Amino acid sequence: EAEELRVGFVGAGRMAGGLVRGLLRAGKVPASSILASAPSDRNLDAWRDLGCRTTHCNLEVLQDCALVFLATKPHVLPGVLQEIRPAVGPHHLVVSLVAGVTLQKLQRLLPAGTKVLRLMPNLPCVVQAGAMVFSRGTGASDEDAALLQTLLSSCGLCEEVPESYINIHTGLSGSGVAYVYLFAEALAEGAVKMGMPGGLASRIAAQTLLGAAKMMLETGEHPAKLRGDVCTPGGTTIHALHQLEKGALRATVMNAVEAATKRACDVGED
Amino acid sequence: AGVLAAHKITASSPDTDLPTVSRLRKMGVNFTVSNKDTVKSSDVLFLAVKPPIIPFILDEVGPDIEARHIVVSCAAGVTISSIEKKLSAFCPTPKVIRCMTNTPVIVREGATVYATGTHADVEDGKLLEQLMASVGFCTEVEEDLIDAVTGLSGSGPAYAFTALDALADGGVKMGLPRRLAVRLGAQALLGAAKMLLESEQHPGQLKDNVCSPGGATIHALHFLESGGFRSLLINAVEASCIRTRELQHLADKEKISPAAIKKTLLDKVKMESPLSLASTSKVSLFSSKS
Repeated sequence: EAEELRVGFVGAGRMAGGLVRGLLRAGKVPASSILASAPSDRNLDAWRDLGCRTTHCNLEVLQDCALVFLATKPHVLPGVLQEIRPAVGPHHLVVSLVAGVTLQKLQRLLPAGTKVLRLMPNLPCVVQAGAMVFSRGTGASDEDAALLQTLLSSCGLCEEVPESYINIHTGLSGSGVAYVYLFAEALAEGAVKMGMPGGLASRIAAQTLLGAAKMMLETGEHPAKLRGDVCTPGGTTIHALHQLEKGALRATVMNAVEAATKRACDVGED
Repeated sequence: AGVLAAHKITASSPDTDLPTVSRLRKMGVNFTVSNKDTVKSSDVLFLAVKPPIIPFILDEVGPDIEARHIVVSCAAGVTISSIEKKLSAFCPTPKVIRCMTNTPVIVREGATVYATGTHADVEDGKLLEQLMASVGFCTEVEEDLIDAVTGLSGSGPAYAFTALDALADGGVKMGLPRRLAVRLGAQALLGAAKMLLESEQHPGQLKDNVCSPGGATIHALHFLESGGFRSLLINAVEASCIRTRELQHLADKEKISPAAIKKTLLDKVKMESPLSLASTSKVSLFSSKS
């Protein structure tokens, strides 16, 4: 069961850190059940502060934990996989967070039949409002997928997808978080221009985004309809929206998602 | 639409040589060169002259307006109060209704709105609504919205024709014969409009329903967005509405003299041919030729 599950992280960088913080906050896994490995202490100090166990030995993570997240940099991964391969067994669930490395490649570098899954989270996992997609390799069963989904749902939205969607998710939501920060900053700046202090403007901007997103998720209504609901005839909102349309905001955002997705594909092929 | 028999309709125009005149006659409409005769033989009177001419027409026919008459003005930008003011010199409680329609009434798919004046009863409005509903959609609105309606559905068919022309060009560019391209483009817009009118769903949702992931349509839509398609349409509606208001101001000032009107009218009538009388058939209740 999840309570007894020992969760390991090979690599302890930002993405892994975000995920572990989310899991800990959700109370899904006690810190003592978590073991993380990294070549230096640079990242590991923060994990110890959280109560997690740490090591410099990747093999130890495989020997100790059944669920292992691979969170190294892409160019480091092949070497790491060679290293841990001897310790990988049929009981392991190996979940790769490594950008651009396909299930096919992972399965090739691990023992045949290993249960491999690929996960793409985003940073707001830290605050339990993440958006995560995962896809499973040939060795992973329905139960394995369900286990992962249940565990990760504590950190936000988690859905299984075909592998081809993972790069799109990067463009939409992995990077997407940054687009939102940009938009929030601009909103606040507009308010500052009109005379509001920056700190207040920033908090209100964030809350506006949060509220709008929450309404979308809770009502399930089409955003176009929700937008229309806010627009009184001849009112302030429709005047402002006209400005956004004049600036071709929609196309620009589409361009951004496309660019990030394409970049994710390119990086993966390197 | 079969709502009215042709012999119950009278139309008048100073120029009898216009093609629209002979078409009306062929339909069995009573034709006269005397505006006064038209007024005398009518209960519902549609004023379908160009906006600057309205004041002069009102002066001319004012004395013949009686309590039974419902005066319906389709002149863009001409306010109910300006008409009532003119007519009250002759009749204490003139019934005035202001209406804005559009050209597709010809194919009974018009979009019409109307606003009732001070002395027009609910029944008068309903009568007009019944007449205009036979040629499309018709609803009552507050008068101050009529300019916006002009911008949207008054001018709207022109935006659609422009779009259709361009869509056809796109089709031709990609290899379709022109005739077929026009036919398909028109049918696509017709079908889409019908879907929207018959659906509870938001147009955004209907759009999504057409866009399969990574498919042709979403690629095309990206182009539209990049070109600021939406804002262009918003701009167009806004520009038409604002211009309508400007025209209204000009009309209020009554800058043109009667003599100039007469000369202008005849000149214009000769140059623009069907336009001034076409405004009669614009709001006519005549069924299309069939």
